[in-house]
Amino acid sequence: MSTSVELGRARAWAWVAHLRAGGTTPWAAWQSADGPEASPPREPIAGSARGGRFLPGAQQLELLRRLNLAGRPSTALADRVLAASAPGRGRPDLELVGVDVDRRFGPPAVDPAELPDDELLRVATGLLAAGLVERRESAVPSPDRQRFRVTRRFRPRYELAGDPWLAAAYTSQLVADGRPPGGGGRSVHVLGTGVAAMLAHTWAAGAFGEGAPSWPDFLAKVRARRRLPRRVALPEVVDRFRARPHTGRVGVVLDPAALPRLVGVRRLDAVVDPPAHATELARQVGSALSLLVLPAEQTQLLDTVLRPRLAAATGGLPTVPPEHRDWVDDAAFALRQRLLRAGYPVLGDPDVLLTTPPDRPVGSVLDLAIELLLEEEAT
Amino acid sequence: MSRKVLLHVGTPKTGTSYLQDVLFRNREVLAEAGIAYPATRHDGHFLAALDLMQLPWGGLQAEAIGAWDALAEQVRAHDGTAIVSHEILATASRAQIGQALESLGHGDATEVHLVLSVRDLVRQIPAEWQENLKHRARLSYGAFLDQITDPERATRIGAWFWGVQEIPDILDRWGQDLPPSQVHLVTVPPPGGAPELLWKRFSQAFGLDGIDLDLEGERHNPSLGAPETALLRRINRKANAELAPADYRPLVRELLAHQTLSRRTRSPRLALPPELHPWVQELSASWISEIEARGYDVVGDLGDLVGAPPVTDYTDPDRPRERHVAAAAVDAITALLLDNARMRHEQERLHAELADVRGALERAHATPSYRLRHGIVVRLERSRAGRTVLSVYRRARGRSSRSA
Amino acid sequence: MTQRRVYVHVGAPKTGTTYLQDRLALNAASLKRHGYRYPTGTNPDMFLAALDLLDRPWGGMRPQAEGEWEALVRRTRRARGTVVLSHEILAGAKPGEARRALDDLSFAEVHVVYSARDVARQVAAEWQEQLKHQRKVSFRTFLKQIRESDQRGGSKRATRWFWRVQGLPGVLERWGNGLAPSRVHVVTVPRPGGPPEELWQRFCTALGIDPAWAPREGARSNPSIGAAEATLLRRVNVRLKEAGLPSDSYRALVRQLVVHETLALRPRMTPVTLPPDAYDWAEEVAQGWIDWVKGAGVDVVGDLDELRPVRPPDGTEWHDPDRPRPREVTSAAVDAIVALTMEAARRPDPDDTLTSRAARWARLLRR
Repeated sequence: MSTSVELGRARAWAWVAHLRAGGTTPWAAWQSADGPEASPPREPIAGSARGGRFLPGAQQLELLRRLNLAGRPSTALADRVLAASAPGRGRPDLELVGVDVDRRFGPPAVDPAELPDDELLRVATGLLAAGLVERRESAVPSPDRQRFRVTRRFRPRYELAGDPWLAAAYTSQLVADGRPPGGGGRSVHVLGTGVAAMLAHTWAAGAFGEGAPSWPDFLAKVRARRRLPRRVALPEVVDRFRARPHTGRVGVVLDPAALPRLVGVRRLDAVVDPPAHATELARQVGSALSLLVLPAEQTQLLDTVLRPRLAAATGGLPTVPPEHRDWVDDAAFALRQRLLRAGYPVLGDPDVLLTTPPDRPVGSVLDLAIELLLEEEAT
Repeated sequence: MSRKVLLHVGTPKTGTSYLQDVLFRNREVLAEAGIAYPATRHDGHFLAALDLMQLPWGGLQAEAIGAWDALAEQVRAHDGTAIVSHEILATASRAQIGQALESLGHGDATEVHLVLSVRDLVRQIPAEWQENLKHRARLSYGAFLDQITDPERATRIGAWFWGVQEIPDILDRWGQDLPPSQVHLVTVPPPGGAPELLWKRFSQAFGLDGIDLDLEGERHNPSLGAPETALLRRINRKANAELAPADYRPLVRELLAHQTLSRRTRSPRLALPPELHPWVQELSASWISEIEARGYDVVGDLGDLVGAPPVTDYTDPDRPRERHVAAAAVDAITALLLDNARMRHEQERLHAELADVRGALERAHATPSYRLRHGIVVRLERSRAGRTVLSVYRRARGRSSRSA
Repeated sequence: MTQRRVYVHVGAPKTGTTYLQDRLALNAASLKRHGYRYPTGTNPDMFLAALDLLDRPWGGMRPQAEGEWEALVRRTRRARGTVVLSHEILAGAKPGEARRALDDLSFAEVHVVYSARDVARQVAAEWQEQLKHQRKVSFRTFLKQIRESDQRGGSKRATRWFWRVQGLPGVLERWGNGLAPSRVHVVTVPRPGGPPEELWQRFCTALGIDPAWAPREGARSNPSIGAAEATLLRRVNVRLKEAGLPSDSYRALVRQLVVHETLALRPRMTPVTLPPDAYDWAEEVAQGWIDWVKGAGVDVVGDLDELRPVRPPDGTEWHDPDRPRPREVTSAAVDAIVALTMEAARRPDPDDTLTSRAARWARLLRR
C-alpha cells in the first residue's frame, strides 16, 4: 500500500470522527489527517457488525453531515447512520474521492456533497423504517369504538366510498364521533372532487397503505390503462354499490358541505390534503418497511405511527406534469359528462371535477426525512 | 458448531441455478456426507439474500422477512460443512458482507470459504440484458450497452450490472477478511466444450467429488436468440402497464420466454457487438492480471475469462429481421392459445367433477352409517375436486389432513 | 283483410346482416306495436334454424340445430302480423331446401330479401371469413379458385360455398322460384363513405318498415382485418392444425378474442384489395348480375351500379395481401400476444374457485 493511500485513509477516518462528534465540514474542505482518531476507531461503531474496519460509504457520511447541519444527533444515531445499508436498488456504497488513489476497480469514488438527494434518502428511509419497526410495540392501538359510542336517537346508516383519501378521513372523523359506518340499508355516499386531486389522493392512499409507484409512474400507469383508478371511477363505484344487496340510496357527493346533513351530523372538519413531499417520504419508507414487516403491519405502521408524525408538514398536492395534462383534462371532462346525465343523485356541481388543486410550493423530501430522524430521538 | 462454510456469492448466468437445483434435490444424500444445504424450498437462499440485502423483488419481500437469520442459524447449528449459494449476493455492501460473515460464524472458529463462479464478459453482457428483459425491462440493447459502458455507473442498470459482474471488486468486498487461499474462483469453460466440465469444477470447488448425486435437470437457463429477445421487449412495452408481476412470471417469463421462445434455436444468437470487443478485451485482461496477483485458488482456467472472438454475422437485436420476429411471435401466439384452451377445458372438467362431488356429498349427508360415509370419502380422495373439498372440510373441522 | 306476410332475408353474408338483425332484435317491442315480429325464440339469432334447414355439419354444430327450423316455422305461424326472418347462411340453401322453406311458409305471403355488395369487396371479405374458420388458403389461391369456377356450382368446396351465397342470380333463382318478381327484393349495399344509416333505411324500405319504429341503434361491428392481420391468422391456423386446438376453443379464443376483439380494432390496417388485373373480371361478374336483375324484373332498393367494383385511382400502388410488411405482421402479433396473456391472467385459478365452492359444500358433510 502506498503512503499516499495511507494518508488518504487517515484523512478519511479523521473526517468520520469529526462527523461523529457533530462536525459539519464538507469532505472537499476537510484537510486534516489528525483528528482524535486518525485510524479505525478501537471501539467499533455501534451497530456495525464487525466494527469499523472499513470506511462507511459516502452516502452514509454525507447524510450524517446533513443531520449535523440540521440539529444535534446523538452518537447512537450517528452510529446507526454510519452502519446503515441503503435498502432497495440504487448505487452501491460509494467511496470518498481522493482516498484510495490506487483503486482500479469498483464504482468511481465521489465527492459526497455532490450526491443526489435520492441516494441520501435511501439511507434515511431505511433508518426511518427500522425506527418504525422498533416503535411498533408502543404504537397506539386503534381507538376503542365502545368508548365513543353515544346513543343517538337519529343516526342515518352510511358508508363513504369514492375518493379514498376523503372517504377515509371523513369516516375516521365520524368514527371518533361515535358514528361507525355500516348497517343494513345504509346509504352509500360516493365522494368526489377535482380529477387531478382525486388522482393525487389515490396515490397518497397507496403510499400510506399497501405501496405505490412514484407519482410520475403512477400517472403513466393510469394513462396506459386508459381508465381512472377503480375507486375514483365514480359511476362504476355507484354501479358496484347499487348491485350489492342491503344498500339503500347510492349517490355521488361532490360538495363537501352537503355531506354532514347526509350522515346526520352538524359539521365535519375539512380534510387536509397530504403534501406531496410527505407522501413521497411515506411511499419510500413504506417500500423500505415492506422488507421488514408483513403488508398488514406495514399499512398499520404507516397509518398510525408515521402519518401523525407527518401531520405538521405543509405543502400542496403533487401537480400533474404538462405531459399528462391533456388526458387528465379529457378524463375529467368525460366524467363530468357522465355525471351530468347520471340516473342517480349527484350533489354538487360536476364542474368541480375539472378543477385543479392550487399550485403550492413543495418541500424537500430529504429535509423532511432528516427532520423526522432528529425528532425520533427527541421522543 | 459448523466447521466450514462454503459461501457461493455469484456471479449470475454461470450455471448457478443448476448447481442450486442439484444441491436442493440432493439435500439428504449431502447430509449423509456431512454437508448441509439448509433450505426448505428451492429459492430459500434467494429469499435469504433478498433479506440480507434488503432488496424488494416483485412482491417476494414479505416472504423474505427474517430469511437470512433463519438460514444463518441453521448453518451455525450444523456440525460439518455447510453450503450457502446465491448469485445476487455478489452485490452486497461491505456492511452487509460483514454482517453475513459474522452471522455464519466467521471469526468464531468457523472457516469461511468464498466461492465465485465467473464467465467471460463476451457472454455475460448480452446474457445480463436478456435477464433484464425477462424481468419486464423495456430498454433497448443499445441503451443497455450505453448504461454499462458509462464509467459513472450512476443508473440502476449500470450499478447493478457491475455490482454482480466486476470480479475484482466483488472479491475485494467479499474477500476483505479472508485469506486468498480461502477464496475460490470457478471459471465457466468456453462455449462448445463438454457440458459436464463446469459441473466437475463446481464439484471440486465444493468438495462434492465422490458423493453419489442425482444430476438430472436443466443445466442452464435457456437463452433466447436476437429476434426472440426483440419480441420479448415489445411484449414488455405493451403489456407492462396491465400485467401484474404474479401473472408476468408464469405467462411471459415461463411460458413464453423459457418454454417457447428459447426452443427456437436456429435464430441468430444474441451476441456482444463486435465494436465493443476491444474494450471488453482490455477490461478482461486487467481483471485476469489482478486476480493472478492476488493469489486466489482458481478452479479451471483464468484464460476462460478472455471469451470468444467477435462473431462475424452479428445481428443487432434492436434492428432484427422482422420476418424472424414475426415467426417467433406466431410460436408465442400458438403457445398462449394452447395454454388458454387447456385452462378452459380444465375449468370445464372441474365444473363437471364438482357437480359429481356435490352429488356424493349430498348422499353422504343422508347416510347415517360410518362405513358408507367412509366409502364416499375414499371415492372423493380419488378426484382432484374431491381432494379439495375434503381438505377444506378437514380444515373446517380442525383436523389434520392425515387423520381422515 | 290482406293476407299476412313473411319476409325472409337470406343474406348475403358480409352485407351488414349482423347489424340489421341486432337492430331488429333491439327494437322488437316497438316493431311489435306496429305489427312486425322478429321471432328470435330462445336463441339470440336464427343461425341454428338456418343450419337445420341447410343440413350442413358446420364444425360439429349440426346436432344442436335439430328441429330448430320447424320450431321457427311454428313460431312464425303462431305470430300475428308481419314476420321478418333473417339469416345470411340461408342464401346457401340448395334448390330443394329453399323450396321446402317456401312451402313451410306458404301459409303467408312470402317475400325474399337479398342484400348484395360488389364482388370485389365480397371476395376479400369471404377470404377473411375462411381464415376465421381455421383455413389457411392464400388470397391469391382463393381468388384464382373463384375466378376459375362456375358461378352456378364450382367444384372446390370453398368456392362452391362462395358462389352459392354470393352469386346473386343463383341465390335468387333458388329462393325466387315460384314467387312473383315483385316479392323478390334486392337491396344494394351503399359504397363506403355514405351516411351510416343508409343501408338500414333501404332495408326498411324493402320490408315496409318506417325507420322511426326502430329508433334504438344496433351494435356496429366491423370485424374486418387487414392484410398483415390476415397473414398472421393464416400462420397461426397452420400451427394450430398441427397442435390440434379444439374447435370450441378456436371460436372463443381465436375468432372472438384475437380477431374480433383485438386485431379488428387495430388502427391503420392495410385493406385487402383485388390485384389490378382482376377488376375486368369483377366488372364482368357485376354486369352479369345487373343484367339478370333487370331481366328478372325483381324489386330493387338502392342503385344497381353499386354492384360494380370501384377501381382504385390510377397510380395507386397495390399491396399484395399475401405479402404484407413483416413489421406490420409483428406488430399485429404482439397485440395478439398481449391480449392472450391478459386473457390467461384474467382466468381465475381453477383451484381458487374450487376451494371457495368446496368450502360451501363441505358444510354439507358437517352434521
